[in-house]
Amino acid sequence: MPTPEIVTQKENTMVLSMGPQHPSTHGVLQIVLEIDSENVVTAEPEIGYLHTGIEKTAEGLFWTQAQTVMERMDYLAPSSNALCYALAVEKLLGITDRIPERAQTVRVLCMELTRIASHCVWLGTHGIDLGAISVFFYCFDLRENILDLQEATGGARMHPNYVRIGGLNGDLPVGQLEKLDALIEKFPGRMRELRGLLQANPIFQDRTIDVGVLTPEAAIQWNVTGPSLRASGVAYDVRKAFPYCGYETYEFDVPTRDEGDAYARFLVRLDEMEQSMRIIEQARKRLDKPGPVMIDDPKIALPPKETIALSMEALIHHFKLISEGFRVPPGDVYQSIESPRGELGYYIVSNGENRPYRVRTRPPSLYNLQALKGIAPGNLIADLVVMIGSLDPVFGEVDR
Amino acid sequence: MPSTQVPPIAGSATDPPSIRPPIDDATIERVAPAQLRARLEALKGDGYAMLLDLGAVDYLQRKPRFDVVYHLLKLRPTKAGVAEVGSPARIRVLCGVADGERLPSVMDLWRSADWAEREVFDLFGIVFDGHADLRRIQMPYDWEGHPLRKDYPMRGPARERSPRPSFANKSNVVAGTPPSGRTLEALQEEIRRAREQ
Repeated sequence: MPTPEIVTQKENTMVLSMGPQHPSTHGVLQIVLEIDSENVVTAEPEIGYLHTGIEKTAEGLFWTQAQTVMERMDYLAPSSNALCYALAVEKLLGITDRIPERAQTVRVLCMELTRIASHCVWLGTHGIDLGAISVFFYCFDLRENILDLQEATGGARMHPNYVRIGGLNGDLPVGQLEKLDALIEKFPGRMRELRGLLQANPIFQDRTIDVGVLTPEAAIQWNVTGPSLRASGVAYDVRKAFPYCGYETYEFDVPTRDEGDAYARFLVRLDEMEQSMRIIEQARKRLDKPGPVMIDDPKIALPPKETIALSMEALIHHFKLISEGFRVPPGDVYQSIESPRGELGYYIVSNGENRPYRVRTRPPSLYNLQALKGIAPGNLIADLVVMIGSLDPVFGEVDR
Repeated sequence: MPSTQVPPIAGSATDPPSIRPPIDDATIERVAPAQLRARLEALKGDGYAMLLDLGAVDYLQRKPRFDVVYHLLKLRPTKAGVAEVGSPARIRVLCGVADGERLPSVMDLWRSADWAEREVFDLFGIVFDGHADLRRIQMPYDWEGHPLRKDYPMRGPARERSPRPSFANKSNVVAGTPPSGRTLEALQEEIRRAREQ
């Protein structure tokens, strides 16, 4: 428990480096700790070990190529980064209203599936951090079902690159909806098991209740978004506040808690998984009706494969799009979506060329992780692991 | 190569202001560096409690060269339901900064500005006065240059200087000479002679 007098006492402290190779830091995070026996006096996270210069790389790629590297940021929810980038570029192109309805529905479906998959990884690893090993297997089983669906859409398990500027890479493959139905059927039972394993577990509660408390004031001061903000009682959800892809037409609740501790963040994420499934069920009903999944604009969308051998125009369009890409009118735009970790934003500047001039990401993990500086002092070192886990950072996104 | 042509941005300092109307729902405002601090303080007092993002853009040939971009969100720092939060106002404050010019830090207004300002300093070289701990965040501490500047080479200065990484030269190759036997200077000399002909 926080003891203020220890925080002010500076003589008996010692500096300890935790990470960057530490199993419970969920990636390459180093935390320079100033400790007094077992109590943390200050915690200074050191990031940048995974910095790959994605924003710089994107400046040298075509608009469509850049989307591929965007997906590599948040590798646990790749579709969310691809979608946010696509939405921003669509706004710059002025084609937001012309995206086919079926494409929007499938995008919502992808988003919610990745949210569940991402929360599964978070829950599994969070459980391992606290010694509850078996949760991990249940979570990864569920996640594997979702990755199978992802693999069927895009060909890759982790980075399907399915969401494209103007719509989707292609329609859902044959048999996808049946697999989805099976997942929808399996999900409630699996959620009951996950809740049963942890929610009322006294050891889990002891480790998480009253640990890493974020008040609403602190959360907003530290720019925390997503489930971590909602666990502090502020129901800010980009899906409700600034709807995109037709989220305003879906019925779902925004789960919140008032406590703001690690246990509240755990409960909010579990509730969110159930709300995601509610959205998936609604999206599933709309998918029976066939329709186009890519914008009908040969200057942006690649022509269908079978027309290339038959039509001169299709061949020319294909050649132009592949060799020099399309141009985006000059302007700047900020677009945000609700990723599994919080508000993911892209501030994109175009100078009218076929490559982005500047792509600035607002990574939710970066700001959420920064809050660790505010909540760690006064806690025990062992609780630091709980706090990192409950903030759910992904280092591909923190460091970019 | 990254494109260096300067984009005509709506509302930018030197370009005609009405090339294109703003296309997102944020209010856009341009502030001079001298008024920035006062304006942001006023906005904070006006209820913009969340500094959503702080980034920068390098318009290489424009004067002033950089834009530092603040995104603010009008969110009350209290418990609130979905209906109370509603659709909070967003504002984008752009501030043109010349190369070498300093900006006041807003770390004391929003603590989240800490890492964001460090990142802008690290990747663009813009210094924030009053920041408690302004050091590199993404790049190593001994790094030279600021990678997101437009005049920073895509593959980094080390690659520009020598065609082979230094560790490759140390093993079985004569130090300093790449396996092709042609140094960068020799290549550049060759290119120069070819151009002259």
